Amino acid sequence: MALIVLLLIPTAVAACCLAVSRRAAGILTVIGAALVLILATRLTGRVLGGGPRVALDGWLSSDPLSVLILLLVAFVGFVAALFSIGYVDRRHGAPVAAKDGYYPLYNLFLLSMLAVPILANIALVWISVALTTLASAFLVAYEDTPEALEAAWKYVVLTTLGAVIALLGVVFLYWGMKLAGGGPFTWAGLLAAAPKMPPTVLWMGFILVLVGFGTKAGLAPMHTWLPDAHSQAPASICALLSGVETTTALYAVLRLFPVLTNAGQTEAQAWFLVFGLVSTGAAALLLVYVRDFKRMFAFSTVEHMGIIMVAIGLGGQAHFGAAYQIAAHALVKSFCFFAAGAVVLTLGTQEIASVRGLIRSSPPAGMALLLGGLAIAGAPPFAVFMSEFAILKAGLAGGHYLAVGLLALFVVVAFCAMMRHVNRMVFGQAGPAPVVGDLPASCVVALVLSAIPVILFGVYLPSGLDRLFTAAAAVLGGAP
Amino acid sequence: MEERILYNLIQVAVVVAFAPLAEGVLNRLKEIVQSKRGPSIFQPYRDIWKLLHKDEIVSEESTWIFRAAPYVAFVAPIFVTLLIPVLTRYPLFLAFMGDMLGGGFVLALGGFFVALAAVDTANPYGPMGASRTRMVGFLAEPVFIIVFFTVSFVAGSTIPYIVQAVWVSPLANFFAPSHVLAMLAFFMLILAEDARLPVDSPSGHFELAMINKSKGLEYSGRGAAIMKWAGSMKLFVLLVIFLNVLVTPWGLAGTMAIGDVLLAIPLVLFKIFLFLVVLVIIESSLSKLRLFRITEFLSAAFVTSVVALTTSASGL
Amino acid sequence: MSDPVASYLMHLNAMAGGLFLLAAFAIVATRQMLGCLRWFVVQALLLAASATVIGIAVGSLHLAIVAVVTVVTKAMATPWLLRRTVRRELYSRREISQVLNIPTSLLVAAALALLAYAIVSPVAALETGAFVEINLSVGLAGLFLGAYTVAVRREAVPQLLGLLAMENGAFFAAVSIAPDLPFIAELTVAFDVPVTTLVIGLLTRRIHERVGGTSVGLLSALREK
Repeated sequence: MALIVLLLIPTAVAACCLAVSRRAAGILTVIGAALVLILATRLTGRVLGGGPRVALDGWLSSDPLSVLILLLVAFVGFVAALFSIGYVDRRHGAPVAAKDGYYPLYNLFLLSMLAVPILANIALVWISVALTTLASAFLVAYEDTPEALEAAWKYVVLTTLGAVIALLGVVFLYWGMKLAGGGPFTWAGLLAAAPKMPPTVLWMGFILVLVGFGTKAGLAPMHTWLPDAHSQAPASICALLSGVETTTALYAVLRLFPVLTNAGQTEAQAWFLVFGLVSTGAAALLLVYVRDFKRMFAFSTVEHMGIIMVAIGLGGQAHFGAAYQIAAHALVKSFCFFAAGAVVLTLGTQEIASVRGLIRSSPPAGMALLLGGLAIAGAPPFAVFMSEFAILKAGLAGGHYLAVGLLALFVVVAFCAMMRHVNRMVFGQAGPAPVVGDLPASCVVALVLSAIPVILFGVYLPSGLDRLFTAAAAVLGGAP
Repeated sequence: MEERILYNLIQVAVVVAFAPLAEGVLNRLKEIVQSKRGPSIFQPYRDIWKLLHKDEIVSEESTWIFRAAPYVAFVAPIFVTLLIPVLTRYPLFLAFMGDMLGGGFVLALGGFFVALAAVDTANPYGPMGASRTRMVGFLAEPVFIIVFFTVSFVAGSTIPYIVQAVWVSPLANFFAPSHVLAMLAFFMLILAEDARLPVDSPSGHFELAMINKSKGLEYSGRGAAIMKWAGSMKLFVLLVIFLNVLVTPWGLAGTMAIGDVLLAIPLVLFKIFLFLVVLVIIESSLSKLRLFRITEFLSAAFVTSVVALTTSASGL
Repeated sequence: MSDPVASYLMHLNAMAGGLFLLAAFAIVATRQMLGCLRWFVVQALLLAASATVIGIAVGSLHLAIVAVVTVVTKAMATPWLLRRTVRRELYSRREISQVLNIPTSLLVAAALALLAYAIVSPVAALETGAFVEINLSVGLAGLFLGAYTVAVRREAVPQLLGLLAMENGAFFAAVSIAPDLPFIAELTVAFDVPVTTLVIGLLTRRIHERVGGTSVGLLSALREK
């Protein structure tokens, strides 16, 4: 079954990478990730055509929402692997031994993220989310500087803290299911049992999972580790972290929304809205003062996680926008980090103040950064703008004027802040930092590959994707 | 009726007679643990006898407090003995005269007088030790109160006899977490109140480091004998409260027969002996805390007692 | 199950719960890292004891196996892993620096424990039997106290031990309300603990090599200036 093979490939590649040289490990990883991407695409087609697929006696399952996440993880994983080949070679930050640990850890990280959407039992979902932290701990610390180690420490400790809180939440949900009469402990089972669960238990489980996995997803006020970890990691890992890891953590929280609305607890909407707006607002404010462009993109991740939460809270048509936003964010954010990585490779610095006139000193990096900055800030006609617009429109149609107003305000503030930084970096007089290197070929290929969806999906959404988003939105709305 | 008065008096006699023995056993055990032979367990009796036959010297600067304090300190534990279950499980004649809080206050009264007497002399070490004892006492007060509240809350009464019955009858009550925690808090209290390690070193001779013993420095002859006796009686009474009410509320006489009551005496002594062994082990393995660390020790006791209270209040 | 035996078991479990809570307080109050580790092991053993008692009362072999797994992973594997990775840190006898001093910490910890009780009381009434009431409140209190320890300590190893204590608390609650989680889930969640310890231990060692100490609370290079 495709689901099983999907998980086996990265495991096998990880094992092989331990035995071979780094160069060969890189190529193996790219091949493995490409295979995973192909499998994921085929699975998407099958799920859209024929409904949820199960494997391994029901231990693995996939419905439209999980397949969306899976597809994104596979794509970003593939492109980031391509980018890694050139990037890791160039950056000599780590001792030789750690370099040989990069690709095995990369594959384990990818495996854990692939597992989150397709594991059926919720307790196992928890474990794979916890494993994403453990697998990426040393990847974040890869550059081996004191700042990187500090970032890795905060990352591991805070996300594990969140994971333990979420564990108690998962246990509460299990207890609630038991009190409601039992059933398989899967998302579908939870959805069916929710109306019969005692409300206090359901709420406690929800709040604990929201706070716990929200820490991992980067929702404010639990986001303090995110700018550090997502700026100190190597750019390819940042792309994975920001693009898809936070999304997989958020997936677990999003899955609870239909469970609560099905059980008639409509106050859940308020929780989603409030957490989302607080995250977006905090990120927008912090974006004004940021001094490091990778941190800038990291704060943007917090902002977008908030937007997704708000979209879920708004309900109805906004769910389509949410699914669109998840995809758009993953694709564009990974591209942004590749662009940032390109800047780091050419100029050797992460400070915004040191980068000026990039378009003249290194045109590929400059163009990439400009494109990425515009796209992630939400400029038309890129995908993020379309998804945000869809969300705002649906929110207005639903009558949530205050939430939509606040969201629009925060998005505009974030846009202005980011554009100001990007503008100064890309244009302006040629900067104080001299060019220290050029881009390796694999990085350029990766940049181009990831730029295609960024440019394309704003103006033209393939019908397959459109159907996928609609199906995912239906799942969020409570369809079994 | 008459038996109750008689047994009350027997109780007092037991406490007065056997308190120095407890101290003697404690000192001997401590020496044995340190691989020495140690003094005879009857040595405190001999000390008291010797002191009673010596001259007493009283400072001219001191007032009546100095002369009265040993007697107050001697009488206070006796008062408390009348209230607590020492030998019998059923209340005796004067048992309803006061409850546990009253008993606690009477003991504190004794300590207060002794501290005042220490200040009364012109010796510099006296007031220093007295102020330190007051500090320990003031930090230990909240623990006392809360432990008493906890056990009273569970038992629904503040009379020690009734409280003790709660732990005896459904035996499973003994394992309730509030009980375990209350025991632990009270034990830490005993270490603090009676100036045992780690709060204070009872065998130290260095005046600057003394907390409790400095209060008795100025006494000689009869006053010293009575102070020494009173000190050992205070320990004995605290132990009896701890053991007979909280830890091992068994082995007390249930009927009015005199044989039962007399049988309870060796049982109580045996329980005290077991506890002294535990105390010696703890004292021998800990070192004296620095003065400001005593607040940590007592705040740990306080937190334990608060948790015991909430555990019992929430019905666990 | 006859009534006095059931009552005994309930009270034994309650005693394990009381001592578990005490161990959680001790982790907040201990000055030395080795002491923290020892109290953590005591907590893990009490967790196993509670699981065994509940297993006997409910008649579930599953819980007995959970108890054994707990003892193996938490009481044996985790200290061993810590000794392998951060031996020097662990056995150094220095004091752990904290943000608040110990009496204040203990008062905050007491308040957190009361908060946990308050949160749990409306929920605990849902299932009969004193097991749930005690385990849920003590487990949640252990969770809060562990989180507080992580927040308040400035050193790496105590922060890790705080995380592990949190997990102990979560498990303590779980053995009473979810005693029959699928076995594979139970096993993997249990093995998460040593793996976390290993990763964090190795990271601590790397930090020590690079930065020269493990006062991670004092690392603050990454801030908006």
